[in-house]
Amino acid sequence: MATQHSTQSSWAAALFGFAVLVAATCVVEWMLRLGLLNRYIVPLPSEVMLSLPRIVIEEKIAGAFATTFLECFYAMLLVTVVGILTGILLYRFTALRAATETWVAAAASAPIVLAYPLFLVVFGRTMTTIVMIGFIAGLPPVILKTLEGLAGTRRVLVDVGRSLKLGAWQMFAKILLPAALPTVFVGLRLGLIFCLINIVGVEFLINYGGLGQVINDRAERYDLAGTYAAIGFVILTSVLFFIVTERIERWLRPQT
Amino acid sequence: MASTANVGLAARPARAVGGQADVVAIRVAIIALLVVVWELASASGLFYRDVVPSLLAIGTALVKVLANPEFYHHLGVTLLEVGAALAIGGTLGLLVGFALGGSRFLSQAFEHYLYYLGPTPKIIFFPIMIMWFGVGPASKVAMGTLSCFFPIVLSVASGMRQIDPVLIRVGRSFKASRWQTAIKIHLPAMRAPILNGVRLGLGVAIIGTLLAETKLSNVGVGYLIMQAYSVFDMPRMYAMLIVLFTLAIGANALVGRLAGPAAARRS
Amino acid sequence: MAQQDATRLTRLAAAPTERVLEIDNLAKQFDTPEGPLKAVDDVSFAVRRGEFLSVIGPSGCGKSTVFNIIGGLQAEFEGRVTIQGQPISGPHKSIGMVFQEESTFPWRTVLDNVCFPLEIAGMAKAKRHDKARHFIALVGLAGFENRYPAELSGGMRQRVAIARTLASEPTILLMDEPFASLDEQTRLLLGDKVLQIQQQLSQTTLLITHNITEAVQLSDRILVMTFRPGRVKRIVEIDLPRPRTSEIVSSTAFGRYVAEIWGDLREEATRGMQESEASARGGKG
Repeated sequence: MATQHSTQSSWAAALFGFAVLVAATCVVEWMLRLGLLNRYIVPLPSEVMLSLPRIVIEEKIAGAFATTFLECFYAMLLVTVVGILTGILLYRFTALRAATETWVAAAASAPIVLAYPLFLVVFGRTMTTIVMIGFIAGLPPVILKTLEGLAGTRRVLVDVGRSLKLGAWQMFAKILLPAALPTVFVGLRLGLIFCLINIVGVEFLINYGGLGQVINDRAERYDLAGTYAAIGFVILTSVLFFIVTERIERWLRPQT
Repeated sequence: MASTANVGLAARPARAVGGQADVVAIRVAIIALLVVVWELASASGLFYRDVVPSLLAIGTALVKVLANPEFYHHLGVTLLEVGAALAIGGTLGLLVGFALGGSRFLSQAFEHYLYYLGPTPKIIFFPIMIMWFGVGPASKVAMGTLSCFFPIVLSVASGMRQIDPVLIRVGRSFKASRWQTAIKIHLPAMRAPILNGVRLGLGVAIIGTLLAETKLSNVGVGYLIMQAYSVFDMPRMYAMLIVLFTLAIGANALVGRLAGPAAARRS
Repeated sequence: MAQQDATRLTRLAAAPTERVLEIDNLAKQFDTPEGPLKAVDDVSFAVRRGEFLSVIGPSGCGKSTVFNIIGGLQAEFEGRVTIQGQPISGPHKSIGMVFQEESTFPWRTVLDNVCFPLEIAGMAKAKRHDKARHFIALVGLAGFENRYPAELSGGMRQRVAIARTLASEPTILLMDEPFASLDEQTRLLLGDKVLQIQQQLSQTTLLITHNITEAVQLSDRILVMTFRPGRVKRIVEIDLPRPRTSEIVSSTAFGRYVAEIWGDLREEATRGMQESEASARGGKG
């Protein structure tokens, strides 16, 4: 009974929240039409929504999507291979790990994307720059989570392996790796998110590539409604992406 | 629920066989190797001139930058922008976070919007910020505020929910007012998640503000970096980046220390 | 019932004192930041083929240390451990270990979990599946072969762990408080299961426990240990009839054995409590 009540009230709350957003949008529209807000700074929400189909066609959004996801794909390919291997290496060689672990953690919090002008110089205004930035941004979480997964294997599972006299390779393949896999996936998801955020951001900054560039394009044409629409579109994509990966992760790890 | 920044150190930090000396030796070896590779690449002529300048050139440029009084003017502007962004975004984040954390209804109504908006690239909002706030420092502060609002509001909201409810009941049993409960119980109990949120917020505030500076500005460290890029003064750009990253990592570590060693490990 | 009794007596008569496991003057000292800590001191005993021996003692008496040493997970110790005449060096293939904590592999089904030691030994797939099913049925989990541990209760997971160890057909079954995380009623019922299996297989078993009822219910002999440093205080012969079930707990003989062992243990447990109070006060490390 209590759970039924709480589900009902959470639906009511969710509905309330959505209603508030819709109402706020309507208020903004009304204020703009009345001239209370400057129409050269904030476009009519209705105009923004109407410009969406135009944007999709003119900007060849499908193409932009493909470009951004291709960049992400290449970057994540590198991240997965390099990240997991490095994580395994650091696990295997404890001295190396003790020496570099804090460095990797610091790199995870360092604003790599701020060095994008440097990447521009080294790789030029090309897809390589974007992929490289995505790669470096997504790498630290994968390394750290792979390491965490392997090192955090429950002691008793390792003991089971030891009591059966497993060799180093068997221990790794049959116990450590499967035990670490859920955590590795968490790391891959985090890496994917960091990767995507940085890639879209850099596309915007250097006006090259897929979705990020679309926004720049609209802004430079002084297409106010279009700029807002493009930004909204990219945000929506990012949010959907985040939700989907979260669902996948929960499906892979039912015990979380 | 994996938050976008829950990447801390591994469960059991490694203790090197052979102890601290081994660690130092390895670090020195790695740094030495990197230095050698760098200098070789620099001298090899494989790269277009100055893309990989010699460490000496970078060092000289660094000294020149730090000795130039104009640099500190730019640095000051950047620090002010980041500071303002953190102050505004932090206060807003705290207030909204308290509201969401304290009310189950409000949380269920609005929090998931903030949660899903969190991991989006905020820099794409910059054209709007320019339209609203102009091309001066205000739009950079707005960018930074927008960036740091999210991690702070989410940390505060979830931090409030994690407070042991028995502590609140103790306050009620002594007839503490809502204000007293907030100041004397909620705030101290939430010290760790708040500081953690501030740490994350500082990180993204720096990123947001500086990216905005690189995109469109005529003052600030971000502007200086783009200026060096436009005249292809690579040693100066490297020097700026070194200063920037040292500040960013240093500020992060400082706030991390404030939060206490246990929270720092949880990142 | 009577027939099984007779079979057992005949077996004992044929090999009445074959010692499969011999512990001689076992001692272990740990180096802690507070100084050297002697966990176990001069422990000697032997386990006869087919018998169920329990080692019981208060917390801190070094029973888990003994478990790890016999199982080969703790390589440094003084004294000798011999299995069927051979001194051990590392985990011995004749010993099967069941751990106290959750030890089933969460990513494998029940069947794959129980197959694990057979897989390691290189047994063919069909053969090991057959064997595994046999032991899964033995512990009463027939029908759960394709479930994952997360879908089972704690007691069922421990049964999987036991089946997994039994599948390797060890000469000696070594268990460290396998039912510690279960409630009392589940313990008694699982105890029944263990008794059944042990009797059916004539499995030599060494059980480490702190639970007196469990020890008396299951064992032929009970070894009582002192508080740290752990020594053998007494060995008690449990002369309760076999085969047994958990109903034995209501008999007077049972009660007498429990009282006897508690008398020994109580002294040791009290010493343990006094020592931890002293160290909390800052007296001893």
